Amino acid sequence: MENIVEVKNLTKEYKKKKAIDDLSFDVYKGEILGFLGPNGSGKSTTINCILALLNFSKGKIKIFGKEMKPNSYDLKKKIGVVFQDVAVFEELTVFENIDYFCGLYIDDKNTRKKYVEDAINLVGLQEFKKYYPKQLSGGLLRRLNIACGISHKPQLIFLDEPTVAVDPQSRNNILDGIKKLRAEGATIVYTTHYMEEVEILCDRVIILDKGKIIASGTNDELKDLANIKERITVETKDLDNNHLNEITQLPEVFEALYEDGILKISYKNEKNNLENVIDYLKSNQIKYRKIYSERPTLNDVFLELTGKELRD
Amino acid sequence: MFFKNFKYTFKALLRNRGLVFWTIAFPLIMALFFKMAFSGIEEKETFDAINVAVVSNEYFENDGILKDVFRTLSDPENEDQVFNTSYVEEGEAKELLQDGKIDGYVVFSENAPKVFVTKNGVNQTIFKFVVEEIVQSSDTADIIQAKVEKMFKEQNSGGFWNTLGMIFAMMQENRSNIKDISDANLSYMTIEFYTLVAMACLYGGILGAVSISWCLANMTNVGKRLSLTPVSKIKLVLSSALAGYVIQLFGIVLLLILTIGVLKVDFGNKIPQIVILSVAGSMAGLTMGIAVTTGIKASENAKTGILIGVTMLWCFFAGMMGVVMKYVIDKNIPIINKINPANMITDGFYALYYYDTLDRYMTNIVGLCIFSAIMLAIAIFSLRKQKYESL
Ligand SMILES: Nc1ncnc2c1ncn2[C@@H]1O[C@H](COP(=O)(O)OP(=O)(O)OP(=O)(O)O)[C@@H](O)[C@H]1O
Ligand SMILES: [Mg+2]
Repeated sequence: MENIVEVKNLTKEYKKKKAIDDLSFDVYKGEILGFLGPNGSGKSTTINCILALLNFSKGKIKIFGKEMKPNSYDLKKKIGVVFQDVAVFEELTVFENIDYFCGLYIDDKNTRKKYVEDAINLVGLQEFKKYYPKQLSGGLLRRLNIACGISHKPQLIFLDEPTVAVDPQSRNNILDGIKKLRAEGATIVYTTHYMEEVEILCDRVIILDKGKIIASGTNDELKDLANIKERITVETKDLDNNHLNEITQLPEVFEALYEDGILKISYKNEKNNLENVIDYLKSNQIKYRKIYSERPTLNDVFLELTGKELRD
Repeated sequence: MFFKNFKYTFKALLRNRGLVFWTIAFPLIMALFFKMAFSGIEEKETFDAINVAVVSNEYFENDGILKDVFRTLSDPENEDQVFNTSYVEEGEAKELLQDGKIDGYVVFSENAPKVFVTKNGVNQTIFKFVVEEIVQSSDTADIIQAKVEKMFKEQNSGGFWNTLGMIFAMMQENRSNIKDISDANLSYMTIEFYTLVAMACLYGGILGAVSISWCLANMTNVGKRLSLTPVSKIKLVLSSALAGYVIQLFGIVLLLILTIGVLKVDFGNKIPQIVILSVAGSMAGLTMGIAVTTGIKASENAKTGILIGVTMLWCFFAGMMGVVMKYVIDKNIPIINKINPANMITDGFYALYYYDTLDRYMTNIVGLCIFSAIMLAIAIFSLRKQKYESL
């Protein structure tokens, strides 16, 4: 596998506060790498260090096999960045903003024209070309922010929480766009604190907490780290303490909780668990409205590794 | 890439209404306002002679020149009569003064002349000034008359303190005798317009300051984006600053057209030099703006506030709110106006108007260039940074 980005022992301190602590990881060609971590875990700082915007006390960073420096213009040409904070000109329209930033990469007029159109189509801003950023809703503004960062068709794209404060429709649009970019051959680093996004989008995930990598791997690999392997949820009103005790005694059950008409059973293994529960409910003539089984979430993994929830 | 950045920075600056208002429209409005405030007054040319008395003692009677000068200044046939003079005994003069029949009287002697007044009004000031002029300088009655005339106009347009300031300025002027003041009739209004142009030049630096902040990663979000493009920092900074500078110059040209062309304020006739001075002054404003934005850690609004404050302070020292301030500064802390770009600009205009040679004008141009170079050096100090400790 070709490494597009190599980060070795990256350490960054603000004044006295350590924001990143000895981070090492690689980004592989063609993947979407998720950077998952709560607020303040160091996601943005890591990206800004990789991009040579920030000084750091220790570490080596290579992009496309070359050391990344502020004047690595050949590397910068191939990189696109979507910052966490919207970075567009208030005084320029949607089209002008994209054309401006694209124009700083692409000299040829016709190519640029096409690229700008492509970017507008990708994020679905066709009807808003003449709008000023102020006239856009939060979600549309985020889409513009993305278009500005990727219009020059970069091979490596960093997206720093591009969906913060965005409605579900805009979010889906954005996630679809990112998948399209990958399909076109881009390598993507995606930071977020929404685990759902990571689960549907990313090939590989790095979980960050307090500036340290606490786990990394594919979604499946990470979920193996959680101490539970399956969770079954039953919506029922007819349960008493006796039943609950008996359920806890069923095979492989790790924990059973019953609250507000919802029964949650956690398992350490995946072995006919759903069948066992249904059998039990049937034989005790307990009626239920819904029953479903889930795999553990990344939140469970995070909980397991840090003792706290990913989002509080 | 240079042009692309220039073009869009230019567009964005022009569409920023707040910026355009303060840097371009505001000075134009001020110009109209100045003209309105001063024009009625400028037209009033007649001057009521001041009632004074001269004590006709032996010393006065024996001094032909003194007598001659007073006679000319008090000649009712003379259109520009300054004084209505009674020649009386000292006791009588005292009475006249107490009864309010005269504004003051003077006693000449071997020593310095003694002027007696009861109030400190404008007439009294003019009286004192003239007496001093007569004794200390060798000016003829005509010249003194012209000076008084001028002072009168200024008193009417700017109030007592301005008059006083002008008197001080003229007295200073006198020592280094230049050109006959009577034919270069520089009015108080014109001086106000000099400081207005100076203000616009320095103010305009906000444009360049803002455009530069747009390409710095540690200042704006778009700055982060621009810093990641494959365009070198120097190219970005230069093209952005140039966009700001062009708009700034455009504003100055508009202001000059309005003041000189439309409002007919007399700036003299050395138009190319006037333009060059404005260009140099604007450069001082631009570089000062860049130095402040890059050198000071504060929010964008705070920086704009600082820039406006500094500009107003420079203009204040250069005499914008009354020439007396300039006099006080020149007299007590001369170094301030030596490094004050607003003063260099106004003094440059003044020199163009007053002198036939360009020496003093050039001194100011060179001063502005040095000021700009120092500001630029300060700015480059932080502009050179490519990576930051924090963003
Ligand atoms: N400019 C700064 N000066 C000082 N400390 C900072 C600065 N920026 C970030 N930090 C600190 O560094 C740590 C990492 O911040 P960073 O912004 O990288 O986190 P993040 O993972 O991007 O968080 P978020 O999800 O809120 O964007 C935080 O503890 C933060 O308080
Ligand atoms: Mg962040």
